[in-house]
Amino acid sequence: MIKYLVSLLLIISVIACNNEQNQQSDDGFGSGDDFTVPDSILNQEEAPLEVSEDAMDDIIENVSSPVEMASLLKDEGVKFNYKLLSPTDNADNYNSNFKQALNLGILGADLGYLNMYNKTTSVIDYITAIKSLSDNLMIGQFFDFATLKRLATNSENIDSLMYISVSSFDKMDSYLRENNRSNISTLLVTGVWVEGLYLATQVAKDTKIDKINERIGEQKMALNDILIIVDNYKSDKNFYKLSESLTKLKDAFKNVKITYEAGESEMKEVNGVLTIVQNDKSIVTITDEDLAKIIETTKEVRNEIIRL
Amino acid sequence: MKKILYIILIITIFILGKQTKTYAQCNNKLVTICSGGLTKNATYLKELKVRLQAKQSGKKAPIARYALMLSKGTHYRLSICNAKEFSGKAIIQLYDNNNRLLGSSYNPSTKKHYSAFDFICNKSAVYKVLVSFEDGKEGCAVGILSMIKN
Repeated sequence: MIKYLVSLLLIISVIACNNEQNQQSDDGFGSGDDFTVPDSILNQEEAPLEVSEDAMDDIIENVSSPVEMASLLKDEGVKFNYKLLSPTDNADNYNSNFKQALNLGILGADLGYLNMYNKTTSVIDYITAIKSLSDNLMIGQFFDFATLKRLATNSENIDSLMYISVSSFDKMDSYLRENNRSNISTLLVTGVWVEGLYLATQVAKDTKIDKINERIGEQKMALNDILIIVDNYKSDKNFYKLSESLTKLKDAFKNVKITYEAGESEMKEVNGVLTIVQNDKSIVTITDEDLAKIIETTKEVRNEIIRL
Repeated sequence: MKKILYIILIITIFILGKQTKTYAQCNNKLVTICSGGLTKNATYLKELKVRLQAKQSGKKAPIARYALMLSKGTHYRLSICNAKEFSGKAIIQLYDNNNRLLGSSYNPSTKKHYSAFDFICNKSAVYKVLVSFEDGKEGCAVGILSMIKN
């Protein structure tokens, strides 16, 4: 009898421990390493990283959301242009993790652009392509395809669609970093950023809107950060090539000047919400010639990424 | 025999009790709850999940730190939600790159907590967001960065 009871106790303990582990990995507050992911480029060269994983995490978090760029375009009255988007037909034909991850980022930024302009009919093609790429990278479990598809058919749910889209990308990115796949995360973030810049620069080519030009110039800061994380994996030949392209883009940005003016912040209550108005200012100086160079180089870098 | 059964029963209740108590809300549910509280004119941008242990005696209270790139001309909102199963009340603070405190969800002079505060950004730069729990208590919270359309 005692033997049975002891066995029962052991079984309960084991179940309890397992449940606890699963709970931690599901909630994203824990480590999340509930299964291993075979990845051809993971630790490919085993070369020591120049930048620590913690520093990389900070840099990756730093890169602003593509939704902000799309929102700026919309707020400035720029019309939606379907021709600017990356085609979804190629999604199944990217045959390396490297290309898949970069293009997952590209399509993620396009999805943000579509959502911002409420183009829900085209959203389905993009979430299908994103699902396919994320499955290939074994992070498809974080992309809530069914819910997104349902939301996309009802344009009243645009806020939820936006939330789940952005949140899915955040979860994929966090999972990759927690599971020592920061190389893939780096490519994902780079793809998102390049496409955001591409959309803005293509608009800047045909219009002259100071706020958009200034936002483009500000990307000099983000580009420096992105180059740091890409260069971390330069021992891989694909990363090396990507770094070369981004360095060309950095060169196009070299004359952009960002200066700052100091001021005291003000605090007030607006509609019952505590609001801080910043009086520090950043000022971007960018010549038409430099802008043209940035537009052209961004196009080259982006088209190289989406090419099969 | 009765004694052994009694001990096993106590241990079982303890283990199962611990299971059901574990983070009923301290998980992605909290993110969903917190993002659900965003107003119609807010666009979700990022979530910051925080789970901190209680302050140990003689040591500083634990703090979670994040770096965020914020853009000029954008009206941001930083919201904070606590998981109910922990007593710690979260405080979310925004600092600039010169370590100047720009905003906080807690006013220490009035001891008042706010669920959110807005930041109208005029300087594109990397900012620091710090999340801690009042009096260094153990806690679980989610911070949400959103963008407000005016």
